[in-house]
Amino acid sequence: MNRNLNILNQFNILYIEDDKSLLKHTKDILDDFAKEVYAVNTSLEALEIINYYTVDIIICDILLENENGIDFLKDLQENKKIFIPSILATAHTDTKYLLEAIKLKIDHYIVKPINVKELLNTLHDILLPQIQEKELRKNINVIKTISAITDSKQVEIIKYMIANLDDKNQLFTSYSEIMEKISVSKPTLIKLFKDLSAKNILNKTAHKTYFFDEEALNSLER
Amino acid sequence: MQINKLFNFYEKIPFSYKTSFLIFVIAGGMFTIILLSQISMYALKNDFDFLFEKRTKPIIKLEIIKDTFAINIYDTLYDVQHKNITIAQSRDVIVLGQQLINKNWLSYKKTSLIKSEDSFFITELIKKLALNTRATHNEKLQHNIIKNIDRKIVLINQKINTIYILFSQKNKDEAILLIDKINFDINSINIYLTNLTNYDLNLAIDEKIQTQEVFNILSNILNISIFLVFLFCILLSIIIINNFRISHYILEAAIEDKTKELLKLNDTLANKVKTEVLNSRKKDIIMFQQAKLASLGEMISNIAHQWRQPLSSILMIVQSFQVKMSLGKLTQEYMDEKVNDAILLSQNMSNTLEDFQNYFKPNKEKSLFQISDCINHSLSLAKYILDQEKIVVSLIIKEELSTYGFYNELSHVLLNMISNSKDALKNKSNNKLIKIVLKCQNNFIVIKIYDNGGGIKQEALPHIFDPYYTTKYKSAGTGIGLYMSKQIIEKHMNGNIKCKNVYYNINKTIFEDCALFIIAIPIVKAKDE
Repeated sequence: MNRNLNILNQFNILYIEDDKSLLKHTKDILDDFAKEVYAVNTSLEALEIINYYTVDIIICDILLENENGIDFLKDLQENKKIFIPSILATAHTDTKYLLEAIKLKIDHYIVKPINVKELLNTLHDILLPQIQEKELRKNINVIKTISAITDSKQVEIIKYMIANLDDKNQLFTSYSEIMEKISVSKPTLIKLFKDLSAKNILNKTAHKTYFFDEEALNSLER
Repeated sequence: MQINKLFNFYEKIPFSYKTSFLIFVIAGGMFTIILLSQISMYALKNDFDFLFEKRTKPIIKLEIIKDTFAINIYDTLYDVQHKNITIAQSRDVIVLGQQLINKNWLSYKKTSLIKSEDSFFITELIKKLALNTRATHNEKLQHNIIKNIDRKIVLINQKINTIYILFSQKNKDEAILLIDKINFDINSINIYLTNLTNYDLNLAIDEKIQTQEVFNILSNILNISIFLVFLFCILLSIIIINNFRISHYILEAAIEDKTKELLKLNDTLANKVKTEVLNSRKKDIIMFQQAKLASLGEMISNIAHQWRQPLSSILMIVQSFQVKMSLGKLTQEYMDEKVNDAILLSQNMSNTLEDFQNYFKPNKEKSLFQISDCINHSLSLAKYILDQEKIVVSLIIKEELSTYGFYNELSHVLLNMISNSKDALKNKSNNKLIKIVLKCQNNFIVIKIYDNGGGIKQEALPHIFDPYYTTKYKSAGTGIGLYMSKQIIEKHMNGNIKCKNVYYNINKTIFEDCALFIIAIPIVKAKDE
């Protein structure tokens, strides 16, 4: 799965690690990807950051000096009611904390020594839904806007078609069926189907069977 | 054959029966001897008494009668004949003589005619059995003589009376004639009396011979019985000695057997001891190895902990190159900076390794070293685990001391102590303290290690230095650490190690349950052990 790591540059990362050397080197790498990397040694500093800046994701070492990363996250969730996606970093010997981590609904768990690619991928995977949500909201708005300014009947028919696609992007329908659902004239319907067929978007493969071609859609955009 | 059978039968009788039988025989023999000697003594005395009473006395009486006849009657009559005395005077003397004669004669007859009934029955029995009583004493002869004497006495008395009648009739010549006749009679009576005396003497001789024979028989019987008793005594002692000898041989054989067995047992025991000693030495070696392995494991986990962080950093640096490269952001400055960092980190790692390498070096060479160095080094090796458990260590060095010995072994012991304290402190939530005090006491280096981990359980205290004794879970403890520590301190350093529970003041706070380990080792100047 190819990840577009560029999406990370929209986010602020809070990184808590007590080993200063490791903290520095990791920050140097993350800086190239993220919008902002807040690298701190202790939970106190981390709390300050959370209070003053927007933090999109927390990477937290379990064993901090004089404290426990899990306790910090637990405190954040239970007492401060701050829910930020978090990744726990741990030496593999610390597996005894895993159960607690699972209870806290930690988003991910990475084992030290940290594999940078794995870390970046994990960050991407956790942050992707947020991006997608934003994108979705954007697209919905686009469609809504388009339908407001164009023939709303055509948009309605296309919505119906896409809604009735099966797993293989096949549509089993007939004009009369569509006309029963949507009050539209037959010539309009035929014209729309013809237009779509001309652009290879919706091709008739058999009687009452159409194939919706996503590829054709992509080639259209360019 | 018969004797053999008897002997065999006798052999089969139990020893106690044999001896009691023999003792019975001996006792019987003794009794017989005593009885016989008593009897013979009594019988002899009886015989002597009898002889005197029955034979000697009558002879004396007969003699008296004879004398009386000779002196009183014959002499008086002679004096009368020769008119030396008056008739009246002679009459008195003769009457007196006659009375004497009568009295003695009667008493003689009484004694000699009474049957000797009073003689002892056993002598009588012996006489009857052993001697054919020769009838030497012809009783008829005696009776005849006695009768004759009776007659003569009566005759003499009549004649004397006749004489005095004649004298009263003044018929002197006839009287003198008669006196001569009386003299003749007296002579004949004297002969009779002598005969009787002879008879009695013969009788006495006979009886003496009989007594002699009885005595002989009795003494023979006595001798025989003494001999028998003696024989049985010897037999008894032989049997007893024999029995002793047999039992002695049996016992000796038994003892020899037992001794052989014991020797064998001894041999096997010696072998066993040898093998056991070997085994225990092997065990010791194995335990040493186990302890070494256990500490090795601990040390390796220490190394692992100490390496993990720089390793993470280095890995991060390496990966950063790749990432920067892919982004096209890899600059010379960045490279230089990161490489320098990596070099520093790897040097740090290398130092860590060296530290531990020194610890594991099989350092068989003794050396002069500072105790405080050893303690500090041990603490630095254990630093990671102590930090991880957030244990605060305070080290108080009251005196700088050095000794000549195995540096690594002391370090090993100290690490073991620290590790134990750490395990004890693990379950404490906060305020975990270890205090180490180094001082000199009576020419001994004394290292005291306190921890406030709750102390040692009372039931564990006596066993704490035993091998394979552990209060920890199997995975956590092998039960060797303290045993090996004790071995090292006692055998290699001639010191001692003790432990106790104390109340102690660490950092101005009094802790109730503190475990205290005291290591005391003598100060050794270089090479002059």
